[in-house]
Amino acid sequence: MSEENRKVIVLACSGIGKVYGLIAREAVLKVARELRPDAARTMCLALLMTDDAEAHEIINGATCITVDGCPKLCAAKNGALAGGVVAEQVRVVDLFRAYRGVNAGTATALTADGWKIVADLAGQLAEKIDALRAAGTLEEAE
Amino acid sequence: MAEAEVKVGIISCSGEDLAGGTLSRLATRKLLDERRPHHTVTICLPLFLAGGQEERMFARAFPTITVDGCEKRCAYKATERLSGKVNASIVVSDIVGKEAACGCPLATDALNEDQQRMVELIADAIEAAFDKAQGTRKAAKIVD
Repeated sequence: MSEENRKVIVLACSGIGKVYGLIAREAVLKVARELRPDAARTMCLALLMTDDAEAHEIINGATCITVDGCPKLCAAKNGALAGGVVAEQVRVVDLFRAYRGVNAGTATALTADGWKIVADLAGQLAEKIDALRAAGTLEEAE
Repeated sequence: MAEAEVKVGIISCSGEDLAGGTLSRLATRKLLDERRPHHTVTICLPLFLAGGQEERMFARAFPTITVDGCEKRCAYKATERLSGKVNASIVVSDIVGKEAACGCPLATDALNEDQQRMVELIADAIEAAFDKAQGTRKAAKIVD
């Protein structure tokens, strides 16, 4: 299994209508590009859903963490449908129970508090990735 | 006769794997928030792709513009396949070049000045398509 294939796929819904989708998107980019670039990667959810052969080849059998903004769970459902092994599902709307009353921003731009939530979520995702790697889950998925 | 309100739907790719996804998303939000806030609607592309009849009615209910980050044109292809013919298809890489569109994915607060200008250029293209779509719809209403 190549190093690239051993990476956990962090898949965001990137919903464009609400702030939750933007938080999902930013957290996934942060973990894949900054926090765990050697252990995580992302991919376009829409491409995956258009039956792109290359995208399906990448996700098929790969360990995934999905991050959805809302309870419709587009990333989780479609990651699994495409053959991804969804080890963790995160719903941003649930995280907001810990941030009651906080103005995180909009679907266009986050406030400073919104970016703090992104940092918290990205940190949680990085820990989940570490745990998956420590448990040998990625090798087992081979 | 009172003129019926014409809303235009914009479906953007938001691709997470390349800069064009961020540019397309931000340009689309610019139309929704700033340039045509009362005359545009959107739907999450993954929800549209995964959705039921209600979501699939989107392009039949609204004149629709798709905005894609790269030449794979997920938003355009999905909309035409699942919902109906689109009024216009904007491809970010056609406007800002493949190198800029297919670069590393960007956080929404990480755009440099060039990339911010690209968002404006893409928004200009969407706005022009919006005006055309709205004009077409109004003309159709008069004929009706």
